[in-house]
Amino acid sequence: MSNKLINLENITKIFDGVTVLDNLNLYIRENEFLTLLGPSGCGKTTTLRILGGFENPDEGRVLFDGRDITKLPPNKRQLNTVFQKYALFTHMTIAENIAFGLKIKGKSKAYIDDKIKYALKLVNLEGYENRSPALLSGGQQQRIAIARAIVNEPKVLLLDEPLGALDLKLRQDMQYELIRLKNELGITFVYVTHDQEEALTMSDTIVVMNQGYIQQIGTPEDIYNEPQNAFVADFIGDSNIIDGLMLQDRLVEILGAKFPCVDEGFGVRQPVDVVIRPEDIDLVKPEEGTITGRVTHLIFKGVHYEMEVAANGYTWLVHSTDMCPVGEEVGIHVDPFDIQIMNKPESEDEEASVIEE
Amino acid sequence: MKNNMRKWLAAPYSVWAAGFIIIPLFVILYYAFTTEDTAGLTLANFSYVLTKENLKALGLSLWLSLVSTVICLLLAYPLAMILTSRNVSQTSFIVLIFILPMWMNSLLRTLAWQTLLEKNGVINSILSFLHLPALNIINTSGAIVLGMVYNFLPFMVLPLYNILLKIDKDVINAARDLGANSVQTFFRILLPLSMPGIVSGITMVFIPALTTFVISDLLGGSKILLIGNVIEQEFKQTNNWNAGSALSMILMVFIVLSMFVMNKYDKEGEGTIF
Amino acid sequence: MKRKLEKIYMAFIVFLLYAPILTLVVLSFNSSRTRAKWGGFTLDWYRALFANKDIMNALYTTLVIALLSAAAATLIGTAASVGISSMKARTRTVFMGVTNIPMLNGEIVMGISLMLLFIIGRIELGFGTILLAHITFNLPYVILSVMPKMKQTSRATYEAALDLGASPLYAFWKVTFPDIMPGVVSGFLLSFTMSLDDFVITYFTKGPGIDTLPTKIYSEVRKGIKPEMYSLSTILFVTVLLLLLLVNFGPSSKPSPEEAKRKQRLGSRRVHRFHKVPRIVFGRVLPVLMAVVVVGGGIYYGHMNLASGSNQVIVYNWGEYIDPEVLDMFEEETGIHVVYEEFETNEIMYPKIQSGAIAYDLVCPSDYMIQKMLQNDLLQPLNFDNIPNAENIGDVYYEKSRQFDPDNQYSIPYCWGTVGILYNSSMVDEPIDSWKVLWDTRYKDSILMQDSVRDAFGVALKTLGYSLNSTSIHELTQARDLLIQQKPLVQAYVIDQVRDKMIGNEAAIGVIYSGEAIYTQSENSDLVYVVPEEGSNMWIDSWVMPKNAPNKENAEKFLNFLCRPDIALMNFEYITYSTPNEAARELIEDPEIRNSEIAFPDDSILGRCETFTYLGEDADEVYNQLWREVKSN
Repeated sequence: MSNKLINLENITKIFDGVTVLDNLNLYIRENEFLTLLGPSGCGKTTTLRILGGFENPDEGRVLFDGRDITKLPPNKRQLNTVFQKYALFTHMTIAENIAFGLKIKGKSKAYIDDKIKYALKLVNLEGYENRSPALLSGGQQQRIAIARAIVNEPKVLLLDEPLGALDLKLRQDMQYELIRLKNELGITFVYVTHDQEEALTMSDTIVVMNQGYIQQIGTPEDIYNEPQNAFVADFIGDSNIIDGLMLQDRLVEILGAKFPCVDEGFGVRQPVDVVIRPEDIDLVKPEEGTITGRVTHLIFKGVHYEMEVAANGYTWLVHSTDMCPVGEEVGIHVDPFDIQIMNKPESEDEEASVIEE
Repeated sequence: MKNNMRKWLAAPYSVWAAGFIIIPLFVILYYAFTTEDTAGLTLANFSYVLTKENLKALGLSLWLSLVSTVICLLLAYPLAMILTSRNVSQTSFIVLIFILPMWMNSLLRTLAWQTLLEKNGVINSILSFLHLPALNIINTSGAIVLGMVYNFLPFMVLPLYNILLKIDKDVINAARDLGANSVQTFFRILLPLSMPGIVSGITMVFIPALTTFVISDLLGGSKILLIGNVIEQEFKQTNNWNAGSALSMILMVFIVLSMFVMNKYDKEGEGTIF
Repeated sequence: MKRKLEKIYMAFIVFLLYAPILTLVVLSFNSSRTRAKWGGFTLDWYRALFANKDIMNALYTTLVIALLSAAAATLIGTAASVGISSMKARTRTVFMGVTNIPMLNGEIVMGISLMLLFIIGRIELGFGTILLAHITFNLPYVILSVMPKMKQTSRATYEAALDLGASPLYAFWKVTFPDIMPGVVSGFLLSFTMSLDDFVITYFTKGPGIDTLPTKIYSEVRKGIKPEMYSLSTILFVTVLLLLLLVNFGPSSKPSPEEAKRKQRLGSRRVHRFHKVPRIVFGRVLPVLMAVVVVGGGIYYGHMNLASGSNQVIVYNWGEYIDPEVLDMFEEETGIHVVYEEFETNEIMYPKIQSGAIAYDLVCPSDYMIQKMLQNDLLQPLNFDNIPNAENIGDVYYEKSRQFDPDNQYSIPYCWGTVGILYNSSMVDEPIDSWKVLWDTRYKDSILMQDSVRDAFGVALKTLGYSLNSTSIHELTQARDLLIQQKPLVQAYVIDQVRDKMIGNEAAIGVIYSGEAIYTQSENSDLVYVVPEEGSNMWIDSWVMPKNAPNKENAEKFLNFLCRPDIALMNFEYITYSTPNEAARELIEDPEIRNSEIAFPDDSILGRCETFTYLGEDADEVYNQLWREVKSN
């Protein structure tokens, strides 16, 4: 991709003695869709607010195009924000809301009118100029908030859980809309969410955060397929996270059974976390499985069946298009490349003990 | 309780309000339009009270209460902004600091200003100790304005504080984000959004200031007559209840005007002191 | 930097709010009776406070009225809020409009309207009318506190309760009511506070012998606040302060670490915790307080009523015009309860008697006012057979009284004196012997003028060489112009405050009653009293009995008691106004006072003095009109 537009260097932020961000380093490339993902309280919103200029970091600096903007007030930054609860100006009409930033910059009336039309068209709300924001639905308000931000042609658009308040269907529609906008406008999006599905759908890059630390940075595929620790694995999608013992390169012992895998370099007889996605587990005849167990739960989920299999003292979560009835004895098989081996976390801080969602 | 049954819970209040709020107003009306000597309705009381002196007192009352209201607003707005910017644990305590003085008798507190402001009073003693010029406002309009501001400031602070508390911080952030500097943000966003609180604060200060007779009595050295003093005298000294009622009616015209303004700006009843 | 500015600003506002409070607290430890002088530290006033029956009575009345009115308003108001919120929008608007009236109407209009209502409705002004008035102005506070909560309560939870089998009443009580509870509590507290501090409405709706703290304070303003009042307010204030500190920093309200963390995570969202405070006050402290006060107050009032009932005498006198001990002694000796009320000027007293809304047994007006009351047939003759001690009053005073009471049938002189100039010898250049000094521009802002029509015009008329009782429009207009001309020089128009101000060196020259002069001289030896050479007013305040006096016999006993030489002496020593009681004068031990020219001027001075006479309604009106022109100029 292109060059680095924003650099966050050694950012630390402390509120009332609680460290919210701890020595955070992150760069954002031009024209990418970057998502900060994590449970509430992980520091993702604080990071965004530091970018927007609403909070000052206690340590570290923010570089924008190589220029230090750490102390720059929000009105001097080439960034615009779409707020979680939209933060529309209820005492103005929609047109006035959208025109706000342009009027401040002293643009001509014709230019402003043009921009309002253009922006409303972009968000599919043509003809809404003279309505009051209070009378719009959540989704419409959301789109106005976006329109209000983008007419200023910012280099970066910051979005703070913008779809959090919308219902499922609307959320999905808006996701596509945002992707479309990003492609049309060609600007950088920094997006904050706690919804992993949203993050996977829209992002170029995902930054998984927890307790003020970055847990992993990568493409959606990387994050999903190669979680670097149990937290990421657990937070992104459903996972079976099991204590394992790395016997040697490419061989791990899980629940007393030996599974071949593809990982190397973890040492010999090292305790590790093993992540296996539920859809990567094959239920086979008992005699063909690495271990055997019994199906204890079965739910039809539409696309697939969700099953729980009790085997070797662990309840395995299994997604499969084939159905095995409750009580049936099955074998469990996992392909070596579907087994993800991770180091145990060194400190508690690096990993959340509780995930609040 | 069913809805139609619930309504009846307001019955005692209806009776009370009719008896002690509505009817008394008509009693004033009755007194204002009758005299002891003549039968039937008359405008005599009005022509009697519409003298140059009374109009002057009314004008002075309007002027002084306007000045006090403006001062209160200018003092209270920054204060309310500071209060809302404090963190939670401090705020309720700080707000209490502003309510606490109300538990000491307001007459005594106002009187204490006499001791503070007098020629040889506390403030002037301090000023002369610092070799500063003396402050001679006791028994002047200045002292009355000070008394009004002092007594009614909390009634301005509380509605402003409550309305500012309700404004989403992110709305302010949004304005900043869209390029407005702090002055622009204040005039284009904060001020219009806090309008209900401002209007409610203004009424809460203006009306008591307009109708007071106590403050002018205590701090004005009886040299300055406000419309409240004139009314009080008609009732308690001259004993002309009809004239007093007529004056009250005139005063009420201004009160109704302010009520009208308040309703216009604060339809939702958002700007409350509670 | 910004934080610092904010702190400085807050400090400024807090100073503004608390400077007067601090002043009052300091004054409560001042051993001097006058607020104008610091006489050293003392705790005497705190001791004296609990012995001061007047103030304690007022305190009880205030607390009982505040509690009862707040409770009643909370009950009616909460029910009303529930009712109103279930009404149609239009009806609701009407109701809320009516509710706003007392809040917006201005206290004075509210007080006047209720007073007129009570008088028209022939409801006797007293405890009951104050209570009714207080409930009325408290109701809006309750409704406006509860209504927003009512709006927030979700219909769904109430319906859920019904769904789970609760009866509507039970569901309301268990589900809706807890939701609006914070509103109810703050409504109650707000009402309580407002009622506690109300002066204006109480002032207009109260009756004789009943005072709340604010009205008591107001009536003391003219004479100078009794220091006990400062100590009482200090105690009240400190109590509330401690309560609040306890509630705010007590263990129960401190958020747990988890809560703090959670709040911190919420970031900028603020939780309005205001309701939390009253809840604790309400839950623990207030019920106890309430019980104590209501029970205490109840017992107290029961006792009062038992004592008073039929056996009482209602006295209406000038402020600070009797030794309170005399009242106690009278009650003790006779078992007759004295309902005692004070007025500041004749003009304030007169309408109360005239309206008859309140029936007094004895009133103590001045000469010209007695004449006016006689002409308007408001008085009844006294039965001197039942007042044998009336003989102690010197004949010369009865003779003087003939001017307004030709047959000496209606009045018994109580106090007398002259009007003159009190000046501070250290602040004027030469001895003063003329009214003209009051127009001397050298003394600009150092002159205190009397704030009553007749006294002010008396001074001006005498300066011009006219009679004090002039009814000539020409002379009066001249006097008015003279007074207007004087106004820029006047520091303040005062009645009895002249005393404190002269003691405190606030002014150089003041117009004062001779009785006050004696006291001020004892506090400030620089002060000199003269009766100017142009002549002045010699006045007599006498006891009279209104026509509608309900306790005639008790009143006679009271008068007889007052005329007893030892009692008259006690009063003289307390109030320092000249006594007409010759027998009492004989008892004065200090010859300097017994023969004081101020207290008992000789004929050379009295020879140039006139007594006020009643000039008739038309002349009264002229005087009032001209005086208004002076005051509003």
